[in-house]
Amino acid sequence: MKNASAEKVSVDFINMTNVLFDDVLINFGFGTKEEKKNILRTSEDKKVFMDLTCFDPSEFYSEFPNLHGIFAALFCDEAKKIEIHFREKNVAVISKLQELAFTPVETTVVSCGFIFPRTIVQIINEAYFALEEGVASKEDINRAMKFGVNYPKGPFEWSEGRELFVRTLLNELLEKTGDKRYIASKSL
Amino acid sequence: MMNLHKIVIIGAGTMGSGIAQWFAQQMCTVELVDNSHEQLGKALSSIHASWDMLTQKNKIGMDDALRMKELLSIKSLDKVSADADLVIEAIIENLEIKKDLFKNLDHTFSAHTILASNTSSFPIELMAEAVSLERRPRFLGLHFFNPATIMKLVEVIKGKDSSEELCRELYAWFDSKDKKPAMCKDSPGFIVNRVARNFYGEPLRIVEDADENKMKEVDRILKEVGGFRMGPFELMDLIGIDINYSVTCSVWEAYNKEPRFAPHKLQKQMVDEKRFGRKSKRGFYKYD
Repeated sequence: MKNASAEKVSVDFINMTNVLFDDVLINFGFGTKEEKKNILRTSEDKKVFMDLTCFDPSEFYSEFPNLHGIFAALFCDEAKKIEIHFREKNVAVISKLQELAFTPVETTVVSCGFIFPRTIVQIINEAYFALEEGVASKEDINRAMKFGVNYPKGPFEWSEGRELFVRTLLNELLEKTGDKRYIASKSL
Repeated sequence: MMNLHKIVIIGAGTMGSGIAQWFAQQMCTVELVDNSHEQLGKALSSIHASWDMLTQKNKIGMDDALRMKELLSIKSLDKVSADADLVIEAIIENLEIKKDLFKNLDHTFSAHTILASNTSSFPIELMAEAVSLERRPRFLGLHFFNPATIMKLVEVIKGKDSSEELCRELYAWFDSKDKKPAMCKDSPGFIVNRVARNFYGEPLRIVEDADENKMKEVDRILKEVGGFRMGPFELMDLIGIDINYSVTCSVWEAYNKEPRFAPHKLQKQMVDEKRFGRKSKRGFYKYD
């Protein structure tokens, strides 16, 4: 894990990276549930803000009082707009994220997988099922969704290099809800 | 490259007239057919008005508009040119009516004519049963999106007996024009109506109940963070919650009630309460 200096204007938001300033720790990137929880266990003296794109935030909020806010950056694109939820609003964190070239978009909805990641992983999963069944090629599925219903990206463009995040979130949703709709396509 | 000169469109509703307009804009000869003379008249006036407006806005030249008007005609089925290269059916979504029509078209049109359906819900294979064995290689699905003159996608749907070469040629032809074709297998919902189901289904499960504030937030986030042009709740209200629910149910049934396609209780509740969206002034949101 890397410790990025607070002065840098960009940060690795895919691999586990911590940004520290004052009494705040912002944890970016993908990690296992246990790795994420370990960050919180070892940072009890800090106000922690954490990327929890792939896990159920309610579980983390109830277990860790030092978790002050959560965000979802793993699926963000070049515009770097990210959903963020505060247990307690922290303006300094917003400024820090802006310094790091993110545009935080506040939400009050606490949902496993937030709103955008949860919706697109299901779109991506269905695209993989269609691919697996030979309905169409990746290129044609991307094209159909962009030019038939004006999606900003095709499902495989969203998932490129992020298949692990898609699978992890689907598995978390399956575990939390018990709903078979979240079973991941084998081709994912 | 395949050449398509003479096109017949059956059905002068929103989709049929949009498809007819688009083909005329590609400088094809187009015959728009409907059994309602009134509907044909309305469709023709509306297409002409659209071309006049495009001329005024300098989007198309005056000469081109005149040429398009010459190329597009309205006909009854018994007067249609039997030597058309392509016939596209865009009538009501009723399998038996479509099959009857295709049986008739198979007899009416010459052997080289390609017969296609713009259906969004029926298997191409079932409709192909209505035509002769000789015609089946030249029978396929061509699914346009509304408005057909603007939306670029055409799903080229290969039925069990459709000629692969013909599908590839049509794909190439659309690709060379103002369209973005996507080749797909004859399966429920094809590509878009299948993959897009979760754009509605998952947000419904995030909000769980008819909490307007939560819906607004989901719509806002998907537009602001996700870059979607419309949020799922406002889009369902625009499409019609009843229509969206019916498509959801039909895809779910077609996939043997696979949980990924299951409708949400809120959809049924809205339909039961006649909250269909914008058209009934009440859906997920109010439109007073």
